[in-house]
Amino acid sequence: MDKQQEFVLRTLEERDIRFVRLWFTDVLGFLKSVAIAPAELEGAFAEGIGFDGSSIEGFARVYESDMLAKPDPATFQVLPWRSELPGSARMFCDILMPDGTPSYADPRHVLKRTLARAAELGFSFYTHPEIEFYLFQHAPEPGQVPAPIDSGGYFDHVAHGAGHDFRRDAITMLEAMGISVEFSHHEGGPGQQEIDLRYADALSTADNIMTFRLVMKEVALSQGVHASFMPKPFTEHPGSGMHTHLSLFEGDRNAFYEAGAQYQLSKVGRAFIAGLLRHAHEISAVTNQWVNSYKRLSGGGEAPAYVSWGHNNRSALVRVPMYKPQKGNSTRVEFRSPDSACNPYLSFAVILAAGLRGIEEGYELSEGAEDNIWELTDAERRALGIEPLPTSLTDAVRAMESSELVAETLGEHVFDFFLRNKRQEWAEYRRQVTRFELDRYLPIL
Amino acid sequence: MTAERREGSTAARLARAGFSDPGAAAPALESAAVHGIGNEDELLAALALTADPDAALAALAELAVRLPDAKQLADALTGDPTTRDRLLSVLGASPALAEHLLRHPEDWRAMTGVEQLPPSVLRRRLLAAVGADPDARVPTAALSGSIALDALRVAYRRELLDIAARDLTGVVRVDDVAAELADLAAATLDAALAVARGELPAAAAQCRLAVIAMGKCGGRELNYASDVDVIFVAEPAADTDETDALRTATLLASGLMRVCSATTGEGTIWPVDAALRPEGKAGPLVRTLASHVAYYERWAKTWEFQALLKARPVAGDPELGRRYAESIAPLVWAAAGREDFVIDVQDMRRRVEATLPADARSRQLKLGPGGLRDVEFAVQLLQLVHGRTDERLRSPNTLEALEALSTHGYVGRDDAAELDRAYRFLRTVEHRLQLYRLRRTHVMPDDEGELRRLGRSMGFRGAPVEELHEQWRRHAREVRRLHEKLFYRPLLTSVARLGPAEARLTPQAASARLEALGYLDPPGALRHLEALTAGVSRRAAIQRTLLPVMLAWFADAPDPDGGLLAFRQVSEALGSTHWYLRLLRDEGAVAERLAHLLASSRYVVDLLMRAPEAVAMLADDAELQPRTRDALSAELAAAVGRHETPELAVAAARAVRRRELFRVAVADLLGQLDVEAVGAALTDITATTLQAALDVATRSVQSERGALPTRIAVIAMGRFGGAEQGYSSDADVLFVHDPLDGADEREATDAAHAVANELRRLLGVPAPDPPLGVDADLRPEGRQGPLVRTLASYAAYYARWSQVWESQALLRAQPVAGDRELGARFAALVDPMRYPADGISDAEVREIRRIKARIDAERLPRGTDPARHTKLGPGGLADVEWTVQLLQLRRGADVAGLRTPQTLAALGAAADAGLLEADEAMTLAEAWRLASRVRNAMMLVRGRPGDSLPTDARELSGVARVLGYPPGAAGTMVEDYRRATRRARTVVDRVFFR
Repeated sequence: MDKQQEFVLRTLEERDIRFVRLWFTDVLGFLKSVAIAPAELEGAFAEGIGFDGSSIEGFARVYESDMLAKPDPATFQVLPWRSELPGSARMFCDILMPDGTPSYADPRHVLKRTLARAAELGFSFYTHPEIEFYLFQHAPEPGQVPAPIDSGGYFDHVAHGAGHDFRRDAITMLEAMGISVEFSHHEGGPGQQEIDLRYADALSTADNIMTFRLVMKEVALSQGVHASFMPKPFTEHPGSGMHTHLSLFEGDRNAFYEAGAQYQLSKVGRAFIAGLLRHAHEISAVTNQWVNSYKRLSGGGEAPAYVSWGHNNRSALVRVPMYKPQKGNSTRVEFRSPDSACNPYLSFAVILAAGLRGIEEGYELSEGAEDNIWELTDAERRALGIEPLPTSLTDAVRAMESSELVAETLGEHVFDFFLRNKRQEWAEYRRQVTRFELDRYLPIL
Repeated sequence: MTAERREGSTAARLARAGFSDPGAAAPALESAAVHGIGNEDELLAALALTADPDAALAALAELAVRLPDAKQLADALTGDPTTRDRLLSVLGASPALAEHLLRHPEDWRAMTGVEQLPPSVLRRRLLAAVGADPDARVPTAALSGSIALDALRVAYRRELLDIAARDLTGVVRVDDVAAELADLAAATLDAALAVARGELPAAAAQCRLAVIAMGKCGGRELNYASDVDVIFVAEPAADTDETDALRTATLLASGLMRVCSATTGEGTIWPVDAALRPEGKAGPLVRTLASHVAYYERWAKTWEFQALLKARPVAGDPELGRRYAESIAPLVWAAAGREDFVIDVQDMRRRVEATLPADARSRQLKLGPGGLRDVEFAVQLLQLVHGRTDERLRSPNTLEALEALSTHGYVGRDDAAELDRAYRFLRTVEHRLQLYRLRRTHVMPDDEGELRRLGRSMGFRGAPVEELHEQWRRHAREVRRLHEKLFYRPLLTSVARLGPAEARLTPQAASARLEALGYLDPPGALRHLEALTAGVSRRAAIQRTLLPVMLAWFADAPDPDGGLLAFRQVSEALGSTHWYLRLLRDEGAVAERLAHLLASSRYVVDLLMRAPEAVAMLADDAELQPRTRDALSAELAAAVGRHETPELAVAAARAVRRRELFRVAVADLLGQLDVEAVGAALTDITATTLQAALDVATRSVQSERGALPTRIAVIAMGRFGGAEQGYSSDADVLFVHDPLDGADEREATDAAHAVANELRRLLGVPAPDPPLGVDADLRPEGRQGPLVRTLASYAAYYARWSQVWESQALLRAQPVAGDRELGARFAALVDPMRYPADGISDAEVREIRRIKARIDAERLPRGTDPARHTKLGPGGLADVEWTVQLLQLRRGADVAGLRTPQTLAALGAAADAGLLEADEAMTLAEAWRLASRVRNAMMLVRGRPGDSLPTDARELSGVARVLGYPPGAAGTMVEDYRRATRRARTVVDRVFFR
């Protein structure tokens, strides 16, 4: 029993915690939870809690279904929401095979493995996501058009709007869970929200995103509204992206920073961006994993549809934000394609892997784009060598299929499951007769 | 005349005193005499005791010149034998220190001290040397810059002179020397910190900094010249911002390191190495205590805890240092409870041995086999395992810890004493070696002169080089032997009564140790040990010497418990044979191989249980070469010839087969055969066994019916035909016969049937030997068809009915037994079918693809993960083979290389002919080899065949180990397998289904 574990057990006693929720994430990014009594926790620390992996999306097939969830005491957190009385707490878990070795199906392990590869090169990976989502007046009902809670626009301060209360409560609760929130404002669509999580190492950030999504849903529920991270709920309003700022550190030094270079961007930084661009296609199915994700990417505005980079160019896939003098450590790049409904562990893993590949292979970064890429003609884009991102889930899946980079990063098990699952999703979607078809064809055909 | 005679006699005396260049020494002796240094005879006698009399005398003469007043020196040399011997021994053993003396001649007085210095005095002296007040709470140097650095170097070396002088004259023992060197290092670090503090900018924030020594300095067992390993811990002083304080602390720490390592006119002291800190070189140089603790609680690896065993606060803020020690100790002692401890420990053990290049090994004092590291490592590991429950074992010092382990019964007393002696010897050699130039080296010189000097410095004056080597070898051998015994021997004591000098390990301690070594069922293991060692027989006595090492080898293999059990069974079966234990005892390699095999392979254990005498094969590498087909045929023919009844004859053949399977399996597991060689060897065994059985069956039928009216041939099919058999392969065959001229066809067919049936019956008679399944299902009309056909009937059938899938199967037809000429005619008969002149039609290509697609969908057993199925899964054996076979059917007629029953050969030919890209062929071959190896490994590990990668964790890890993966890497193996087959599948999609 180490100190951290002792601390957890002591806290359970002192805070009168009756339930401990063991959290982990399935391959598609859904949070899973096993509740155990505090008395079982000591055993869970020592050996893990057995569960049937075949009941979890992407974990195991029936015949090899025994798996162990082993809580990471460093992620212990008392849950602040009122609906959880008497007190309960949570810890994230690592998923192990019965012999105690890490499971290749565990998204958290996928990220850890990739982070370890970065560490071998001397890098640690930090991320800072800006998470967008919508608030609706009611829980979704089949056939109903969703109603947003207000009709405000970007940076509007809606007086006494439900959204305002919501943000206050949400931030309070996030802070209570040890998640620092950097900035929040009202996004472009009615009822749309954005909350930025502060810079942290990628594993903590991914854990925090999982927590964040749950907290948002809980707070919404407590206020009688509904929160959704669906990438594109409205045809006419912007989608919910998760623009993510990325940086690599070598020890205490920002590896993307080089004084005097263009945009203060080091060679490492340029190669990292080149890696993101070259592999953008093949990682797309991971960072934008739903049929609906591609509706956002095709929608224009802040969502990138083309593979390009630029300095402060908000239509580019990779943006190098304005450099703040005297803050060498703030040099970073913003990757703009991921949406709020991705699996953060897998997404960070493939993003990091793409960037590292650029560094390892010394990719050259081409000229950045200054124009608004949406406004260029196809011919202009071709002339500039700007390729489109996949335009549908099936495009993305096809690009991923032949990617050794993604296979290596996700591991063969997750790679295989993910592809099968996404092909299935596409096959189901393709059979649907949509609202669009009915509206357009029924009257005239 | 007189002068000449004296000179001559001087030269002779000098030579007798051990001078190697008396001609050069004589003038030096004269010059020393000029300065009144001593009675020549006594001086010579004293010089004769030094490591290098020539050098000592030359340096002495020079020293006398440099001293403004040599009288006191002369007095000391004549009237104070202690000082004289100390001075001369240093001058003879260390040119580096001699040089210091020549620069600072007055420092010879440092060697007049009589006793060991307590650490506090050393600290006062070194702090004073840089102008710092030793009594200040935070000593700060008054000197700065190069003046401070020079002063510190001179003071450090002056103390070093004193230590070396007492060391070389045998006043202090090697462990005390090492302790004093560590104390001197600690004092130096404090003084260096005082200098760094003196150079801080005025505005620097307040902080407290403690220096924690690690490694040899931490263990108070330092060398003359090694890096000093440290970790820095800092805290803000009251009311100081943590960030600012850490910045100051980092300045101090890096300043300290620079003060010690910089090279000035006075040389350098030693490099200070902070790489053992959390996160190594990537981590911040200085951390707060809380940050240290958080790191070790969350991130640290097992070897880092092993390193922390030696952590000891030595300089800077004593109170902070003490708090560090108190906070870290509990973490260290909990390390043995970590989940990966066993794997980590095994890794560390292997790494120690594996990292050395072979040529450096033989001269390495520290890392070579039987070197210092072996001793240190063994002691530390035992400390980690048992120190958790027994606080008496927690010393950071190797020799102290060893003594505690011995006193409290964790290692044998005699073993500990032996190890202690060896360690002291090796350390002494190391000290003398480093003292010479004060350089960090652990490699024995190969220069004769240097070896001679080194030997003399150790006190070997007769034949220094030979004695040094002899002693070194003896001690290294002893360490090597003990290193293994130390762990395992005491385990026996918990179950057996051994000599009084043996440790008495409690059953709990024995279980803890077995568990740490990777045994899953310690009580079971102890029971086997008890059974093997019980009693007073010679047998039990030999087992007691064998088992300690055997236990180590079992522990390195995938299934230690299974290995020990099997060893017990084999030993019980063979215990009374005269050669068995002798072989294991006298032929080290046999015991090691046996241990490895028994703890890796159920298949080998099963074969061995039926005929334990095959153990003898392990003694000779030549024995592990697969026998040629001719040799096998000859032996089998003789074996079946010796027996009257067909049953006994075939049983004899099957016994030969079993022994040969053992031979191949062993060679395979020992890494001496690749998968293709294994396939060929197994095919040879099957083919010759079939031939022998065919001979017996023929004889048996003839004894009833008289001479056969027909000739019979056996055609191998499938992997058998391709000479690609695995351990679990059946023999796929076709039987063909051809009636003799004039024989009645009906009668001939009956006789041929009788032979084929008799052959199958004889090979299927229940016996303790592994069965050889003979499968003739690929014959025309399958199981409905007649078992045997005439060549003419085959011709008629194939001409009228044949399907494309039959042509495909015939691609691998290869005559293996029976009438050769008939076999060749069969091959000639089927050639036009399998290599059709214009290839096969589009419709036939479509048909093959369709069948394959249906097999993919239907043949996999329900609930199986296709990706783990080695035969039918995507990219598995069938995928690769069908792809190759389709190319053969289409192009075999015009590409000669494709006309082979062997998959890899055909694949190579297809690439050569441009039918495949080279990398596509490579991808397919890689997947095919891997899948074949996995299938073989599954059979070897489990003793029963399997198609899918095992789901049982233990079996899977056994398979991974047989495939050459390190422990704990089963996941990586599955990953590699899936990657190789996924890539192969993309090629199959391109080439086969295109």
